[in-house]
Order: sequence, then structure tokens, then C-alpha cells
Amino acid sequence: MPKLIIDNIPVEVAEGTTVLEAAQSVDIPIPHFCWHPALGKAGACRVCAVKMLDGPVKGIQMSCMLPVMEEMVVSTTDPEAMAMRRSVIEWLMINHPHDCPVCDEGGECQLQDYTIAGGHGIRRYTGTKRTHVNQQLGPYIEHEMNRCIQCYRCVRFYQEYAGGTDFGVMGSAGRVYFGRFQDGPLESPFSGNLVDICPTGVFTDKTARFRARYWDYDMAPSICQECSLGCSITPVARYRELLKIIGRRNDAVNAWFICDRGRFSAATPVNNPLRPRTPRIEGREAGWDSALDAIVQRVSELLKNHGPGCIALVGSQRLSLEGMALLPELSTIMLADAPCYFCDERERVQTSAAVTGLTGAISASMADIRQADCIAIVDVDLMAEAPMMVLAVRQAWRSGAGVYSIGETVDLPCECTAVATLDDVPLATAQRPVIICGTSGFTTARQYVSLPMAKGEPVKISCILPGPNSFSAALFSHEHAAISLEQAISSGRIKGIIAVEADIPPELSADIPVIAALDWRNTDTVAAAQIILPTTAWAEMDGTCINNEGRAQHFRKTMNPGLPVHGLNPAGHPSHLHRTIPPGGDLRPAWQIIDELIVRMGGTRTTEQLNGKWEKLRHLDAEGDGLPIYEL
Amino acid sequence: MKIVSDITAIMTGMWITWKHIFRRPVTIQYPEQKRTPYPRYRARIVLTRDPDGGERCVACQLCSAACPVDCISMQAAEGVGGRRYAEWFRINFSRCIFCGLCAEACPTLAIQMTPDFEICERDIMALVYEKEHLLIDGCGKSSEYNYYRHAGIGVTQPRGTGNEERLPVDVRGLLP
Amino acid sequence: MSYDPIDIGIMFAKIALVFFVILTLAAYLVFAERKVLAWIQDRKGPNRVGPFGLLQPLADLIKLLTKEDFRPAGSDKWLFYLAPAMAAIPAIMIFSVIPFGSPVTLFGHQVQLQVADLNVGLLLFMALSAIAVYGVALGGWASNSKYALLGSIRGLAQLISYELSMGLALVPVVMLARSFRLSDIVNAQEGCWFIVYQPVAFVIFLISIAAECKRIPFDLPEAEGELVAGFHTEYSGMRFGLFFVGEYINIIVLGGLAATFFLGGWHGPLLPPVVWFSLKVLAFAFLFIWIRGTLPRLRYDQLMHFCWKVLTPLALINVLVTAWWMVLRG
Repeated sequence: MPKLIIDNIPVEVAEGTTVLEAAQSVDIPIPHFCWHPALGKAGACRVCAVKMLDGPVKGIQMSCMLPVMEEMVVSTTDPEAMAMRRSVIEWLMINHPHDCPVCDEGGECQLQDYTIAGGHGIRRYTGTKRTHVNQQLGPYIEHEMNRCIQCYRCVRFYQEYAGGTDFGVMGSAGRVYFGRFQDGPLESPFSGNLVDICPTGVFTDKTARFRARYWDYDMAPSICQECSLGCSITPVARYRELLKIIGRRNDAVNAWFICDRGRFSAATPVNNPLRPRTPRIEGREAGWDSALDAIVQRVSELLKNHGPGCIALVGSQRLSLEGMALLPELSTIMLADAPCYFCDERERVQTSAAVTGLTGAISASMADIRQADCIAIVDVDLMAEAPMMVLAVRQAWRSGAGVYSIGETVDLPCECTAVATLDDVPLATAQRPVIICGTSGFTTARQYVSLPMAKGEPVKISCILPGPNSFSAALFSHEHAAISLEQAISSGRIKGIIAVEADIPPELSADIPVIAALDWRNTDTVAAAQIILPTTAWAEMDGTCINNEGRAQHFRKTMNPGLPVHGLNPAGHPSHLHRTIPPGGDLRPAWQIIDELIVRMGGTRTTEQLNGKWEKLRHLDAEGDGLPIYEL
Repeated sequence: MKIVSDITAIMTGMWITWKHIFRRPVTIQYPEQKRTPYPRYRARIVLTRDPDGGERCVACQLCSAACPVDCISMQAAEGVGGRRYAEWFRINFSRCIFCGLCAEACPTLAIQMTPDFEICERDIMALVYEKEHLLIDGCGKSSEYNYYRHAGIGVTQPRGTGNEERLPVDVRGLLP
Repeated sequence: MSYDPIDIGIMFAKIALVFFVILTLAAYLVFAERKVLAWIQDRKGPNRVGPFGLLQPLADLIKLLTKEDFRPAGSDKWLFYLAPAMAAIPAIMIFSVIPFGSPVTLFGHQVQLQVADLNVGLLLFMALSAIAVYGVALGGWASNSKYALLGSIRGLAQLISYELSMGLALVPVVMLARSFRLSDIVNAQEGCWFIVYQPVAFVIFLISIAAECKRIPFDLPEAEGELVAGFHTEYSGMRFGLFFVGEYINIIVLGGLAATFFLGGWHGPLLPPVVWFSLKVLAFAFLFIWIRGTLPRLRYDQLMHFCWKVLTPLALINVLVTAWWMVLRG
């Protein structure tokens, strides 16, 4: 553990740490462009210069390249180092197009920040600027090469971290060019991270092009709802429109990055102006009171005519934990059987088996996968079902792990050995082996947990689940001994369905006379329902969900619900009318509607959400790592 | 004696105010008498055009960020050739305090203040000016300036032909 | 006093006259104040309503009457409604003991130009001005507002303190006139005004009444710069108007008293007595406006020090000196 002094503060850090990281550990910021915690060092930008006053090396040094050594004395504020940094910024700005007003990065640009912080204000260079021609990089990424400062972050991420092959660096000296060989969409499914990682405006989000500035963003810590991994994200909204999604650091889950699916496809359904936005009875718009009363009245009628057990309450794997927790109470008060959290019987059995089979000791987090040295992928198409898992597997492979696939061959950005069964995978001799499986392969994988290990830790399992909150659904399903909707309907007793954000296959609900749907998406169930109650989307509410590992994570409300201002008024600008609730904004979170139904059926109002064993999740820090529910 | 000087001071003050009672008032009787404001008087805000006739405003949001009373709002959009412009641009003059920070913040000299201060309305909503009320057909002050000639991303001219620019690099060239 | 219907009629007529004149005068005093202050500041002052702005008081009245009558949440309802009346009514009642002219003969009746010639007139004035303190104190307290409370606490301390020096300044007057009856005091000055005998008492009384009116430089209970509007911060409409007009009635009444006590009341050569009295009152009103246009507000500690360490001892010494002098003269 070398000891050194940085700006008169004694620091002791692990061997191999760079001076820059050592300074960061005691909250001394050193400006940097090319260095990134996930990508390491490149020594390309020269802006992290510090002065070594004493010790084994002396003079101006690049703090990101220099490992700490005993007896170093570092000054980050030395006039010589500051002059160096200022002139580095000045020459980085020599070729800069000075187009901040029309650049989407303006306001959240590292180059902008450091230029101002470094004190470079007036251009002294009188020569001409180097320019480049841009490329069309597909529908998601906008390319503006003139803004480039040659930090090499993009190419290091794209090729090394994400394993992409169609993007690289060309040219030499002052002509260095970052791009594809020719125009065309970027092939990597993680290309969106170029937007986050570029310290200036070379890569910007085309889907949110020219939409807003950083200081106007509505932002909140949130959790991606696209797959069961539950990556941390920061959705960005403005004028009631979800503009874009930024990856958020969570070392236990996604680390720094997110996949393109989570980044580019989550906003469209939320912004959809045609999604359910007013309560409807038989297709006609109705007030909240009359719609809720209509449900209560029809439920009472059904109960009178058919007796208890004729109502099926259907939850789903995308409903938040708060809503799921209230469903059993509603089913009791409606004299129904336990709510169906799954529609498909096979899915229920498999997911329940996986979730109940997982324990804190054997459940692998994505951090575990990144650190694994032997990974077996059992019969699951990771790229389709959990793209970020691929990135985690690649990181493990980069640090030397062996990757094996069983069953269908998967296309991974790393070397992968196809084997016949799990027995062919050298799990027993590995230090930190992990099996990644789907719900169907869980039972097989579970047997290997008790595999006698030669020297390493026991095998851990990461099971990819079907939906963002499948884990909670399976837990409740198991706890209340619930059956699937398929089974419930096959019993023939079901005469009415209340679907809470549930995607019920049309053939299942075809013969049910009464259907009420609570949803924010235009699903088949919503189309079939007589009574529709619009709920808020995940970006418009607070909630909790549990990812495939069993990690409960809280997501916060990003924006107020309502029709996006964009395109709302035919005059082109927002309306001059004052109103307290924006058009299409009278939505309620699903749990509130369930609670309201409970009250109208004669139950008591829930004052505090998440009671009983979930109480610990009430004050879960949305910006933290989440809480594995095994600790509850 | 302090008391003498104190009383003298009070009496001096009383004498001065007494004299002022008989002075001619400096009041200007506004609606009847009008003064010509100076050209740099800070009143009604306009959006100007560049010398080529294009809208100067690029909807960069700096004016709305600088505005201490949050009376400016806008939405940027992409026009022909990647030109950024304001899809809508609104100044709520019932809230504006005419401090001039927006004009100071404007990097393209689009937002400028004019000496026209008589913009009162009976209906307060009539003071919410949209882009069509703000945009004028002229350059206002600084008639020479065209932002896009200096910002090197080639919107009004081919890339690499703006002020102080070299032609684009041939990446595949082998010459050093 | 007889109960002749004519006497009673004359009595009511006097009351009506006093009411009308005082209220009109108070309203125009507001206008005059705005005009004079404007001139002092090289402005024109109100000149839009009617010729030379002369209908301005009427416009102000309409404005005050039509404004929303607002009561803050948590305020003490009845005290809040009562306080403005307690500020304005005692001020106008004091005028009942002031003789504003020499007695005249109407319909064969000897008519005193004074509503009530009490033998304890001076004491009644002291008592009523003490009641006026409650208007300030309760108004501020009942508002349930920190600014109003601070203003009323200041007002309470200030009014009570300056009442003391004001009372002590009047003791020599009573000693010289040998009566509390205001008509006796006026008649005692037929030859020579008391200001000649009692210049110190006059100055003390003048300063004290300025403080009693809560006028600049003694407007600490209102103190716009610090307390929004002091004790009447939460008042609006005509309730504020009562506080406001009460201040100007106070100026008239206290000006009238200063004239009565020190400047010979209605006595004066050539001009009719009522005119003399009016001139003296208006002179005092102008003086107050002029002072307002000149002096800044005192600091609170300066205000209290000035009263307790300067005015009150000086007034006591003045009483002793007067007594000694009267004993020497026999």
C-alpha cells in the first residue's frame, strides 16, 4: 500500500492505482478526458497534468498514466501544472468549431466545463481550423467530427469494451478520424453508449436531437423496464415528453453502460399520444368516479349471479411491487381466488421454480459475472433477452474467463466454446464459476450448485427472467399459492377479469363477459376491455421492482403525466390556456387505483405502501445499489 | 456644542426642503409629453434575422437559462440542412423585467431589445408574445454578424468553407 | 345646562359641523401632504383627478371602500375589526373639548364654539389619547403577523413613553391657567400666549405630539422600510383607511391642542377668531408635512433614549422651574 501526499493530504491507496484515482479517492478533482473508470487510461488528452514536487519522478506528469509510488508528493494546483492544463485546453480548442449553441452536448459537455474551469476564454490562435466530413451512423447516433478532441474514448469503448468491429480510428496526426469505414448504422447493440461516453459533442442522441438543454431536463434515478436485469438509468424528459435515456452507474448491476434496446426503445410507448389517457366505459370517456363505480357495480353483479370466485384479478410481470402487494387484498375483498400474476401456466411454474430456487448465496449479480472466470450459458439467447448480460460476459472474457454455451448457439462478442452439456464445462476447476440460464434451464443448472469444487467458490446462477418484475410476480404467486390465468379460466368459473397492466392473450379472454383493464399501454387486453382505467407509466411514478438477481430497486418519478406538449396545439406553440391538470395527465399509478377499488368495495385505505416484510423497501435509496431481497 | 450643531443641521435641512417647494418640478407628464428613448433603451424584445435573411435564433436555450424571471420558453427543432431553429419561441412580457440578460446571453445576437416600451394591454394574455410577434425582418444592431459563418459545422455553407476553416481532411489520404 | 330643544339642536349641529369639517379636512390633508411632499421632491404630485387633482381624496375614498376587506387566517376576528375604530374614534372625540372660536350669539342663545366645555377637558384629552394606543396595540396583535406584532410593540412603547413627556409639558400650562378647562386656558392667553412664558414646554409638546401622531421622524410603528407597514400590515380597504385617516385627524386635533395650549387658541388680532384658530391648526399641519419631507426616521433606541433621557427630565425640570417662578411671583 504506497503512501503519497496529494495537495498536502496524505493518501494511502492500493498498489497499481493511478495518481488520478488516488486524488479522486480524497475528493481532489483532476480534469480528464481520455481516462474513464470503465475504460482505464490512454494518455491521449494530456489534460490531467499534475506536478510531482518530490519522490521517484519529478516535474509535470500525466496523473492518469502514473501509478502511485511511495513518497510521491503531488500538487494539482501548482502554477506550472495549471499553465500546462490551460494550454492543453487551448490547443484542444484550436480546431473546435465553437458551435455550442447548436450542439446538443452544450450544458452537459466536459470540454465546455473544463474550458471554462481552466480559464481559457479568448482565442489567441489565428490560423485555420481543421474540419472533417461527418458520417451517417444510423437512426440513433448523430456524428459531428469537427467537435472531436481525440480522446479515443469512443473507439476504446466500442472495440475493447463492447467488442464492436465496425467502428474505429483512421488517419494520423492532426487528421485522426473516428468513424466507420463507410456510412451506415453502427452494428453494436451497445452503440448508444458512445453518446454518454464522448466528453464532447461528437456523438449525440439523434432521437433527442435539439429537444432540450441539460438544465431544463426532468431527470430522476430510474430502473430500465425492458428486461429482467433492471439496469440503472436516468430518463430525461422535457415538456411531458420522455426525450432520451442515459445510463446510470450501478456497480452491482450494469456498471456504467446500458444497451441500445433500453436506451432507444423505452421512450416511444411512454410518449405515445394514443395510449390510454382517460377512463373509459364501453369505449366512451368517463370520469374516474363513474369508471371505478362501474367496476364495483359489475363485480357486485357478477358476485350476485355467479357467487364467489367468479372474478380473476390478473397482475403482470411489469407491474410494480407496490401494485402487486395490494392485489391479494383486492382479491380477498372481491371474494376471488388469489390473483393470477402469470397468464401462462408453464411460465408460472418455471419462473416460480427459478425464483424460489434462488438464494442470496447462489444468485449471481452482474458484478459477479464480470468477475467470473468460467461462464456457462445454458439455452438462452442473451442478446434478445438480456443484452447487458452479454456486455458483462465480455468483460469476464476480457479478463480471461472461459465462456461456454450449451444448447442453441448464441452470437456473442467474445470467444465462446459450444459444448453439449454442463458436464463438459470445467466448472469444478474454476475459481468463480457462473451459470447463466433461462427459466427453462434453471432446474438443470440448480443441480450444479452443489458441485464439489476443486479450489474455488461454489457455482452461482444468474437466471434470466421473462419480464422486468418477474421476480416479484413469482414471489407473490408462490406466497399466495396462485394459479395462472390459463388454469383459472380452464376451470370455467371465471366470469370477469380485472387486468392490472397485464398482457392477456386474446384467445384466453375471448369468452369472458366482463373485462376491466388498468394499463398505460395499448394492449390487446385494453382493446378487449369494457372498462379502461389509465395508469401512469414507469417514468411517471415512483415504484419498486426486483430484478432477476433478486435485487429490489426503487425508481423515481421522472416527469408529470400528460400528452407531450410537442404537437399538441395546432398553432405550433403550447396553448395559452391555464389548467391545473395537463391534457391527458389525469392518470393514476396502478396501486392507487387498486387501493381506490378496495375502498369502494368496503375495505380500508392503505396509508403506507409496502407493509409487512416489504417495509424495509419503503425508504430504498433510488440512487443506491438497491437491496437484495434475501436480506429482508 | 453638539446640540447647537444638531439643531443647525435640522434647520439647514428644513431650509433646503423649503426652498425646493418653490422649484419647478422636473416631472414629465408622460402621455402628453413624450421623450425619445435612447437606441440602447431596454424595452420590447425582438428576434432578428441575419444579413442573409435567415432566422438568427438557434433556440440554444441560453436566454431562457439566463432569464431571472423565467419568462422565455422555446422548443428547438431541426430545419433544412441541419439548421437549428426555434419551432416556437415565447416571451411572456407580463413577467419580463427588461433586465437585458437574455440579449446579453444570446450567442447569435438574435434576441435584441428595442426602445419600444409602450406595450401595455388590457388582456394580460395578449402580453404573451409568440415567435410570429417577436421575429422582425431585419438585423437590428450588428448588421454584419451571421453566427453560422463562424460556427464550423457547415449549415449555411459547405463544410470547411466557413470563416477560418480549412477544407475537410481526406481521411484516406496517405500524405503526412 | 338647560334642556332647551334649541340648545340640544345647536349641540347636535356643532357635533355635525365638527365631524364634517374634521373628516373633510383630514381627507384634504392627505392630498395636501402628497402635494407638498411632491413639491419638496421637485415633483408635481397628484394632478389627474379633477382640476389640480382636487378630487383625489374622493377617488381615494372610492378605492378604499371598494377594496376587498381582508382578514388573515388565524387573526382574532373581533379585535381585528375593532382596532381601526379604536384608533380613529378617540382622535375625533378629543376635538369635542377644543374651543375653536369665541362664543357667538345665535337665535338669542349664547353659543360656545366648543362641543363640550368640560372642567377636566385637558384630562379627557390625556385619557382619550391613551385609549388610542389600544388601536395600535390590538390591531397589530390581532393580525397574527410578525410585522404587525413588531409594529404594535414598538407603537405601544413609543406612545406610552411620549404620552408622559406630553403630559408633563402641559403641567406648566395648567399651572399658568390654574384650570383644566380648555376655554379657561384659552382665555388666560388673551394678553400673552403661553409660548412666550413656556418655550421649552412648547418644544417638548411639539415633539411629543409628532411622536403621538406616529409621524416621521417617529413613524417606527409603521416603518415601511423594515416592517412592511407595521401594525396595519394586514389591513386593507376601509379598515386600513380608518387607521390612515385617524393619523390625519390626530394631526388636526393635536395641532388644535397645541394652538389652544400655547398659541392662544382662537385669540388673535384683526381676523375673526375661527379663522385664527384654523390658521394655527393648518400651520401645525404644514409643519408636520414639512418635517416629514425633511427628516429621516429615528432608530428605535434613539427614540426611547430621547424620550426618557432628554424630554421627560427636561419637562420635569421645566415644571419645577415654573413652580419656583410662580411661588416667587406669588
